[in-house]
Amino acid sequence: MNAAAKIPVSVITGFLGSGKTTLLGKLLRHPGMNRVAVIINELGEQSIDHDLVQTSSEQMMVLDNGCLCCRVRGDLQETLVDLWMKRRNGETIDFNRVVIETTGLADPAPVIHTMITDTSVCNTYTLDAIITLVDAVNGNEQLDTLEEPVKQAAVADRLVITKTDLADPAEVEVLETRLRELNPHAAIIRCVMGDLDPSFLVDVGVRHREASEKAIENWLGSESFVPVQGAGSASAIPGGRLAASAPARRLPKGQHTAGVDSFCLYYDTPFSWKTFSVAMEVLTSLRGPDLLRVKGLLDIEGEPGPVVVQGVQHLFHPPVTLDAWPSADHRSRLVFITRNIPRAMIENLVGAILATAASAPAVPAKADATQAS
Amino acid sequence: MAISGNLGGGSSPSREMAFNMKLLGAHELNGNGNVGEGISIQKTRDGRRILWVAHESAPTNFTGIDVTDPRKPKVVIQTQLPHSRVRSNSLDVVGDVMCVAYQTRDLGAKPAGFELFDISKPEEPKSISFFDCSGPHSRGVHMVWFVDGKTVHISSGAEDFEPHDPRDDQIYRIIDVSNLSKPTEVGRWWAPGTKKGDKETWRTDPGGKELGRTGYRVHNTCVWPQRPDRAYLGYIDYGAVVLDISDRTNPKMVSRWTHRPAFHHSLMPLFSRDLMVMSDESTQDGAKDWPMLVWMLDAKDERYPTSISTLPMPPVETFSKRGGRFGAHNLHDNVPVETSHCSEEIIYCAMFNGGVRIYDTKNPYQPQEIGYYVPAAPALSPAGAAQMNDIWVDENRLVYTVDRLAGGIYILETTF
Repeated sequence: MNAAAKIPVSVITGFLGSGKTTLLGKLLRHPGMNRVAVIINELGEQSIDHDLVQTSSEQMMVLDNGCLCCRVRGDLQETLVDLWMKRRNGETIDFNRVVIETTGLADPAPVIHTMITDTSVCNTYTLDAIITLVDAVNGNEQLDTLEEPVKQAAVADRLVITKTDLADPAEVEVLETRLRELNPHAAIIRCVMGDLDPSFLVDVGVRHREASEKAIENWLGSESFVPVQGAGSASAIPGGRLAASAPARRLPKGQHTAGVDSFCLYYDTPFSWKTFSVAMEVLTSLRGPDLLRVKGLLDIEGEPGPVVVQGVQHLFHPPVTLDAWPSADHRSRLVFITRNIPRAMIENLVGAILATAASAPAVPAKADATQAS
Repeated sequence: MAISGNLGGGSSPSREMAFNMKLLGAHELNGNGNVGEGISIQKTRDGRRILWVAHESAPTNFTGIDVTDPRKPKVVIQTQLPHSRVRSNSLDVVGDVMCVAYQTRDLGAKPAGFELFDISKPEEPKSISFFDCSGPHSRGVHMVWFVDGKTVHISSGAEDFEPHDPRDDQIYRIIDVSNLSKPTEVGRWWAPGTKKGDKETWRTDPGGKELGRTGYRVHNTCVWPQRPDRAYLGYIDYGAVVLDISDRTNPKMVSRWTHRPAFHHSLMPLFSRDLMVMSDESTQDGAKDWPMLVWMLDAKDERYPTSISTLPMPPVETFSKRGGRFGAHNLHDNVPVETSHCSEEIIYCAMFNGGVRIYDTKNPYQPQEIGYYVPAAPALSPAGAAQMNDIWVDENRLVYTVDRLAGGIYILETTF
């Protein structure tokens, strides 16, 4: 099913005290968010703004603005499926978006895994965006000392720096630069008391097969990377396929965030689906836990348009083929956010597999290939 | 996790339900909102778009609605039937010619047949000719299929056709209308054994009659340009039938597929995929005849259609209680005319109180529902719920659907 036919899901994450509940409370007052089902992890902080809640005694409730709100004690997958069944049964409002607020202590990866791999969930929902909030007052210290905030920021599609009115402006600048270094593909916005235009947070993902160039770039964030020719350039890769890139800005030594790197690889000639699948299978089996996020727009042999792929750690979302290339640039591009994986390692791995494929007999078409997972 | 509490109004038929579909416009047709199984769109020479609908029962015959602006549909013509014991139910339009069915309640009554109209001026339909199908054992024409301007394929009785059982009165007839003024029958076919005098044993399903069957009569009779030598029939209790009509004077059965002696309504091939879609029709309120489904059939070998899946329906436990009928009925039949959208992957269905539902069959073994629209119960509906009876998807992918009892027409856009 076309991703656009599914209900988009936004995941709001962020460390304890980063302002998730405040942001959600403000968002839900926005008129454009009146058909939203909100799922709140019960392990989170205080309950959602009580002014918005008709009753707090039920696990699922309708908020004053018409939103649906439910609290997850158990399985997220079960909750999402139940929600859909209720909607289809006419027993809920016709919600057209789901927002999941995760607990501040959560590793967001399991939530993302549920969204991109659980068949019963994927049939109905599509992951639109991961929105990570970072507290301007404590963010730098948290990035220095804790693992979860780093991972939360690394997997985000949108980064929101909160409480900027309470922090030293110089600290905010450093934090923003660190976040940009950590995750160049995510747009960053500063926010005070949850005042934010919802359009920054919704319709981030590629949901239409006829998606525009801008929509794709917004999602992929590959424009954030400045292509450079360097080690591992065309001569190092059989077929002259690679044009590597590097982060646009560098922090002074000592202010990097432990082991996290991000980069975008470009490939000039089409992949066979088999080759790409093998490359990702090898990569995920070797270093899955450290592949924090992978997004790609691929030129696959035999496909009329680009193929959108995305993965988190060892799991990949089913690929989606767009109707047509949105621009004349048909290069494959792959954005990686990794932990303790040097870019050269991925370049060399993909290069070796491409070299093997180039010297091998013809490979099967996509339909016969195994999906990377 | 248990879900409880007030979730927004419960499953009430008075509330509209929508997923990936949005209502653009609606019209109750001047109090005659009971629409049958005939929808078609005409592009007029002056640039308008006229939606033609046949009514499910008297007194209204057919209505023409200007849907050039789908947000502001306007009735431009509404005609009346000669008496209350006849209905039109079905129509088709090719260019400026419209074919309208007439079916009587009583055997031997008139008018029973079909009528061709010149609708070049939609406000003034002019009768071109009438093809009479009346007879002592006939109620006339239930459905017409008129898509090439030259042939009308009908489910109908005939003056000279006497079935063993009066419920088996509709057979497949091929009528040449290349001369619009002189329709001429060129061929016919019926389930072997249903006609008195047939050498075959008419009851071919053991116990079929005892199961309370509806009849061994034909419903939809469709022929597409991709296979002009094939007719695809929904033959109610007899099954879904593929006919070889390369010799139209002597149709021959290629295959017959049935899941049980239930209401096989229509059969639509997906030619490029070697698949067929077969829709049942639910005919009993409260889903008493459940399950009435839409079946995906593998047709790699057309002689042996094989069921591979059904389109997923919303829960019968809920919808059987919403009022009126619930279950499969008409598909958008990929009607091969200029004003119709044809898809080999997306299936559009009208499902009575289940509303209209859209399915992606890219994986035919696991079809996915990708959109639905269930209108709020029409104000005067005796069922207390919407009863979506038929569906048309135009070349711009706007969806037109009709209520069987009171609601008239609904015009929708899809948002996927």
